[in-house]
Amino acid sequence: MPEIAISTEKLTRRFGALTAVDGMDLQVESGQFFGFLGPNGAGKSTTIKMLTGLLAPSSGRVALLGLDFAQNLVEVKRQIGVVPEGMGLFERLSAPEYLEFVGRMYGLDKATTRKRSDELLEFMQLADRSKTMIADYSHGMQKKLALAAAVIHGPRILFLDEPFEGVDALAAGALKELLARMTERGVTIFLTSHVLEIVERLCSHVAIIKKGQLVAQGSMEQLRAGVPSVEGRTLTLEDIFLSVVGQGADRAQLEELSWLT
Amino acid sequence: MADVVGGPGLADQIRTVAWLRWRILRNSLRNKSRRLDVIGLIFSGFFSLLFVVGLTFAFYFVTKALFERHLEPLLGLVFLALLVWWQSFPILLAGFAPQFPFRTLLRFPVNLSAFYLIGMAYGLADSAALAALVWMVAMLAATAVAQPAAVPALLLVCALFTVLNITIERLLGAWVEKLLAKRKSREVFFTIFVLAMVSLQFLNPLMQKYGRAFLPMVRSWVPYLWLLPSSFAGDAVAQSAGHHWVAAFLKFGGLAIYTCIFTTLLGMRYSQLYSGEELNEGAAPARKEKRTALTTQEAQDTVTFVPPQVLAVFRKELLYLKRNTFLFFGLIFPPMMLLFFSVQFGGVHPTALKKGVPPDLFFPGMMAYLVLILIAPSYNSFAYEGRGIQTYFTAPARFREILIAKNLMTIAILLCEIVLCVALVGWRVGLPTTPVLFATLAAIVFSIVGQLTIANWASLSYPRKIEFGKMQGQRNSGMSVLILLGMQILFGGVSGLVLVSGRWSGNPWLPAEAFAVLAAAALGGYFSSLDSFTQLAEKKKEILIDALCR
Repeated sequence: MPEIAISTEKLTRRFGALTAVDGMDLQVESGQFFGFLGPNGAGKSTTIKMLTGLLAPSSGRVALLGLDFAQNLVEVKRQIGVVPEGMGLFERLSAPEYLEFVGRMYGLDKATTRKRSDELLEFMQLADRSKTMIADYSHGMQKKLALAAAVIHGPRILFLDEPFEGVDALAAGALKELLARMTERGVTIFLTSHVLEIVERLCSHVAIIKKGQLVAQGSMEQLRAGVPSVEGRTLTLEDIFLSVVGQGADRAQLEELSWLT
Repeated sequence: MADVVGGPGLADQIRTVAWLRWRILRNSLRNKSRRLDVIGLIFSGFFSLLFVVGLTFAFYFVTKALFERHLEPLLGLVFLALLVWWQSFPILLAGFAPQFPFRTLLRFPVNLSAFYLIGMAYGLADSAALAALVWMVAMLAATAVAQPAAVPALLLVCALFTVLNITIERLLGAWVEKLLAKRKSREVFFTIFVLAMVSLQFLNPLMQKYGRAFLPMVRSWVPYLWLLPSSFAGDAVAQSAGHHWVAAFLKFGGLAIYTCIFTTLLGMRYSQLYSGEELNEGAAPARKEKRTALTTQEAQDTVTFVPPQVLAVFRKELLYLKRNTFLFFGLIFPPMMLLFFSVQFGGVHPTALKKGVPPDLFFPGMMAYLVLILIAPSYNSFAYEGRGIQTYFTAPARFREILIAKNLMTIAILLCEIVLCVALVGWRVGLPTTPVLFATLAAIVFSIVGQLTIANWASLSYPRKIEFGKMQGQRNSGMSVLILLGMQILFGGVSGLVLVSGRWSGNPWLPAEAFAVLAAAALGGYFSSLDSFTQLAEKKKEILIDALCR
């Protein structure tokens, strides 16, 4: 039986009267490239924050690699890497300084931190900006650095919130290959993105959240089986997403914008 | 095809921009967390009004007196006061008040001349300009009473002087904007600005010592004032009051030439902006340098008994201190102020007192002042983390380690400053007696450790983001300030009581012993609080992330 990397039980988060995540039961197996989708305000970021220890659940339980997160805070954090929503960078450090800081926070020794930091900066094409402060980096460069920091300690689970946003196509291609290889080695990757083509291409399994509740979960084949098919072509993730979550603006609303169209 | 409407008129655009400014101000006041700001605004508004009204009377009476006593040539000095005010106040304001990003208007279909005129209209709506206009009206009223014949000339001069001042003010504003667009220059600018403000404290003792020699030098500069536009303005009015029309015309011409020159310069500056000048230049890529691998010795931690997480955060704090120009140069203030106090109140010939304060009082007082100033940032110790705060929560570190590292940094700064200031006090005033010296040192330990414990709690409970290189709106949360104030009073009061008890009992060593016991208790309290603060950080993480990542 495969190991369960991420497991939640009745995971709930309330903000006053609003229930952002409502009794979510989620299971992600080790080595899966898992896509987590949902429209704006569905509860994706809230879920990822609870899974990475950035937000306490109102109720329910999170277990990562079989360890209860609340009971084994430090041990669990040692096993995971995170690219959070705001990237969590110390903007007044240079990239090597930041990676050195993160490496040391994860308990890596100086020599390993230096070696990995150099290799990652080279891979992310940031080596020629090693003396520039992070505050002066472009958004895409900051994203690449956040990714480097998330993997420097060799995590077993990687949480990525919109990791390719602002990253150029060249670097994104290399990154996707790196992530795919990591899953081959048994690393679990939990990815949220609004770019459905990326999720479809990378992820073996997908979950869709709507108004704080899971409305679909499974492999691409399982998801396709769950929605009405379209004659003559294979359903894309976009078809599935729209079918599960509901259509966006309808034709009548578009008609109102006739002055524009 | 989408409909494209015709462009709006210039008056419409100015009206729209004025509406935008008003909405921005109104919305900033609607923010619930800024209620204290509203109260502050009411107070500052009231005092500003008092200031303007007071000076309106001053301008009225001075102008009237000059005409009545036939001292019209001195009108240039009145215009000089206006010029200095008009040009210096907006720059002061640029440091403290949020500025409207004027250049963003270039996104809209505005032609260069409209952009220029909107800029000038902006200058006219500036608070410095409005105050100056009120004062010029007071001058006109005084002239109407004292010498009505000079009113048309003064009116003409005031109109041109207004155009000139707005032009210079907009030009300086555009240059300051260019200067402040770069982070490093912005920080250096603010540091120089604050240093200059602090240096003003030395003006009084310096004037007392060198005033007599300084005044003749200042007087020798006065003849050169005729070169300033304010002198041209004053002379134009004075000459026309004396019916010397040719001279008045020439002086007015001088003022017009000044206006033309600055109008040209402003036009050039605005056309640069209009053509799409980018102020925020990114850093150029550095030459790729392969870092050498660490030697076995380098790869070892030099301090082995401290967890790597503590060392990592300590190093990060050190780098942040070095890169926070404002905070870094802020470390100069305490010794500077101490020097100032020693000149004013200590030593054999103090400038503010007849007899110097004895070292037994001066030394503890100065050390208390040092602790008071330097420990204040610890009450909001996560202020500069920004989004980096998330790393503390995703990394496998406990907050006890993070707090220890931050506190170690504060202690290291305090230690350096205390050593420097002890040497300074020793040189300027002399060291106190041995019992007072030991009592003060033990009191410092008690106060620092005790306050750091409370400061850690305040930092976790009432965080407020502070941005590098910005001055406007950069302050601790109101609650954190109240806690700081309460703790300073508490620790100051306890220390005062202990010192008094020494005098009262007649045992000079009693305060030292009492402070040693208090310091030991504070240390015990500090270490036992760290675990509960780790739990508190978990509970407060949403508040911290929300406050620091916005």
